[in-house]
Amino acid sequence: MMDHSVVVGFRRIMDRAGWLALALLGAMVFMPFLTSDPLAYSIGTQILIGASGALGVYVMLRMELLNFAIPGFMAVGGYAAAISASHGVTDIFALAAISFMLPGLLSIPVGAIVLRLKGVYFVLITYIFTEIVQLVLIETPSVTGGTDGLIGFPVLQAFGVQLTAYSSTFYVSLTLAALAFLVAIVTTRIFRQQFSSIAQNDVLAESFGLTLWRYKTIGFFVSSGVAGLAGFSLVNMLLIAHPLSFTATSAVNYIAYAFIGGTGYLLGPLLGSALLVSVTNALSFSGEYSEGFFGIVIMIAVLVARGGLAGALANLWGKLGPRRFRQDYPRPASKVSVKGAQ
Amino acid sequence: METVLSTVLIGVMLGAQYALLALGFTLIFGILGVVNFAHGSLYMLGGYLAYAAVAKAGVPYPAAVVFATLGTAALGYLFEVWILQRVVDDHLATLILTLGFSQVIITGVTMVFGHEAPRFTFPIVGNVAVGSLFIPQDKLIVFAISAVVICAVYWLVYRTGFGRAMRALSIDRAVAITLGMNARIIFPLTVALSAGLAGLTGSLITPILSLSPHAGESVLITAFVVVILGGLGSVAGATAAAFLVGIIEAFSGVYIGGSLGTLGLFVLVIAILMFRPSGLFGASMRGA
Repeated sequence: MMDHSVVVGFRRIMDRAGWLALALLGAMVFMPFLTSDPLAYSIGTQILIGASGALGVYVMLRMELLNFAIPGFMAVGGYAAAISASHGVTDIFALAAISFMLPGLLSIPVGAIVLRLKGVYFVLITYIFTEIVQLVLIETPSVTGGTDGLIGFPVLQAFGVQLTAYSSTFYVSLTLAALAFLVAIVTTRIFRQQFSSIAQNDVLAESFGLTLWRYKTIGFFVSSGVAGLAGFSLVNMLLIAHPLSFTATSAVNYIAYAFIGGTGYLLGPLLGSALLVSVTNALSFSGEYSEGFFGIVIMIAVLVARGGLAGALANLWGKLGPRRFRQDYPRPASKVSVKGAQ
Repeated sequence: METVLSTVLIGVMLGAQYALLALGFTLIFGILGVVNFAHGSLYMLGGYLAYAAVAKAGVPYPAAVVFATLGTAALGYLFEVWILQRVVDDHLATLILTLGFSQVIITGVTMVFGHEAPRFTFPIVGNVAVGSLFIPQDKLIVFAISAVVICAVYWLVYRTGFGRAMRALSIDRAVAITLGMNARIIFPLTVALSAGLAGLTGSLITPILSLSPHAGESVLITAFVVVILGGLGSVAGATAAAFLVGIIEAFSGVYIGGSLGTLGLFVLVIAILMFRPSGLFGASMRGA
């Protein structure tokens, strides 16, 4: 009996884009049957990390807030995992809990300050937050290793099994990305209306009795926690927790993934990260050139395809898909006029 | 006492540089409502253009500075006309566009000049003795140029028809347009002015500090800090805040050292954003 209500409840929570995102992540489990190429694993891992970071951007964009604090919270999650692991915590789920909760808890007091601002001011204050995290990392060498970072990451365990296979980094990232997406799907689905009304017109929403700070704090908590998981994933891949992995400018990458993938759809971060990371690798750009490539692509996306990849796919599906599925996806609240905000 | 005096002097000179940098950033926000994430990259590009003119074409340094200023201004003009103008009222879109533009500039410069920092030095070295103080000549020259340019920008914004049109468009575009002001002419010119100021600052300061494809990143943060302290969009506020930041940085550099001073400055900025979002010095040109 209970099963039924759980299923109904779960079906209400999950929408199609959410299922599709989880299904795509699930399909990646079968990668070893397709290839044993270490490069494919490395690209897969990078895609998953990028997608998790972009997911943090996506969650806040649902409230029309562009979040530059992602690398800052990634650093908190990544360093928390690295420090815990060096103290003997090697279970991946325990570390996942730490790398989600610590940035999440930190986001509450930080959010109490930054969430009072919106628009341009929110962008600037979150950018400065990430800069502050950088400075704190460098100024506390006894805990964080300072400019040397924390080198080495012990072998992780899952269900008591040591993860020594060369593919394990990929699977750790896959697990963390799946957790991140699950949390984000559930949150954005439960609070869909609240987030949308904040995005559309927060003043009006508040006048109708919506407690803005509560929902903004929930969104920021999830965004930061998800970023923390991405940070753990990144540190596990690089085997070092270093300030340079979490610069404020690296936020641009996650924002690019979210925008290219489509900011109106949960699938967006995954699609954007998959496209940009694999194209970057295919064209074998070094880091410097990929920045320019991202730059051109996000400019094109903003000018001609505001829905991003997921938006284009949804349009196609709306035109070509089976009739019973031809319903509109929620459109992203894209345009906020500066004039209107005066 | 001498240390204090020389620290104040360092701070004031630093402040003039920051003011030059922040003026362009605050203008483009004040008039168009655009937060220009490419401002740091334009600064860096200005440095590289001047370097290329001096090292590759053998142009004298003062001419190279003019070339860098005009070059970055032209690029800013084209960026506004071709790209920014299409979505100028969508603040999220313009922000992403400037981010993309910044990345393209950095990559373009890296492709042409490589990753390594080129050797680009100020043509004049040596110190001027004032009483018992020694002031580096290069910084003195930069200070003088900055002061002149800041005054020129003031004159332009507050004393000319062009400036009045700019301010009118930022206050109420619909009314300004019905009165005959053309945003399609004024906006690109404002972006060109802002970009040119960034380029000028870059061509003057990178020979003293350092030049590399990522030199613009730290500069962008400084511009953020100054402009937030001064009130986003406020020209007078940015100038005053620039000198304040310059003096704070000079003192923390001498007496605290390391990045703790910067950390303190960031915390101050957050406090300002919380309690006085219009900046330390009152009203800004535009709300956000």
